[in-house]
Amino acid sequence: MDSKHIEALLEKYWNAETTLDQEQELREFFQGSHVPENLNEAAMLFRYFETEKAKKLNENFDAAVTNKIRQRQGGKIVSMTNWFRVARVAAGIVVVVAAVYLIGQNVRRNSTKEIADTESDPKLAFEETKKALLMISKNFHKAQREASMINLLNEAEQTIQRKPSEKEKEQTEKKVNI
Amino acid sequence: MNLEDFETRVLPAKNKLFRFALRLLGSSEEAKDVVQETMIKVWNGRDMAEVQNMEAWCMRITKNLSLDKLRSRQRKSTGSIDVRFDMVHESLSPHEKTEIQESMKRIDELMAALPDKQRQVMHLRDIEGYSYNEICEVLELDMNQVKVNLFRARNSVREKLIKLNAYGL
Repeated sequence: MDSKHIEALLEKYWNAETTLDQEQELREFFQGSHVPENLNEAAMLFRYFETEKAKKLNENFDAAVTNKIRQRQGGKIVSMTNWFRVARVAAGIVVVVAAVYLIGQNVRRNSTKEIADTESDPKLAFEETKKALLMISKNFHKAQREASMINLLNEAEQTIQRKPSEKEKEQTEKKVNI
Repeated sequence: MNLEDFETRVLPAKNKLFRFALRLLGSSEEAKDVVQETMIKVWNGRDMAEVQNMEAWCMRITKNLSLDKLRSRQRKSTGSIDVRFDMVHESLSPHEKTEIQESMKRIDELMAALPDKQRQVMHLRDIEGYSYNEICEVLELDMNQVKVNLFRARNSVREKLIKLNAYGL
């Protein structure tokens, strides 16, 4: 190949004016074994480009990537998130149902206790009622007696309070009289 | 997009994505992670309106994820270059081999020292052979910016190469 032509091309190359085809031509030229001494630095650079271009990922890269992608394609991750979403709602429902059941059970237990006290025999029931009422009246009486004690105290207090006020009244009456 | 489409349209771009991420990150482990993330992102977004240029779309995602990673670790992308030069021609003598390895390493450092945009544009053009339009699409730049960045990148690489040659490698 004409070295003048190559030199001209190189000059264009350094000025970033070459087309892709011309750069390919230069590349092919420098891959050959007859490179003139004066083009040494360009030869080094083009050799560098070739070695760089030969760098590759190792072969098991494809398998690694397609494996990762298959996992995603199979919807593994998507189905997991869906499952979690469903589980979350289900857990909420379970909590509500359990709460309703337990509270209901508690209420039922309390109400059965009250009902269990009823007597089957009306006479006995009457006696029981009478007894209960008597107890209430007795206690009520007792309470009234205690309360009357408080009344006594109240009266005493009132009489104490009244005395000074009566004295004041008398004084004012006297003043009026004067 | 089904799995088959994915395997024919997205997976074949993996090495280009890897090299681009490697250029930005400087670490092949991280670059691999980014490519994987890109693939999964593309797959998850597969129901989106059809992308016209799938490869450019993937490249753009790779670029953004790489930049996120760079931002999150807040350090420059140089380093771990030593393991990467076992590709040299086998017909050469050991001395020539080490010499070439040495010069490859220098050029790598020199590329890494370029400003981000210049480095990205030069990588896409000179290593992946992208057209200006494709570079615009990947880097979200306009035509002018792409051309200016490529011009500056090639010029500064040339200057440094001449200096390297003059002082010997």
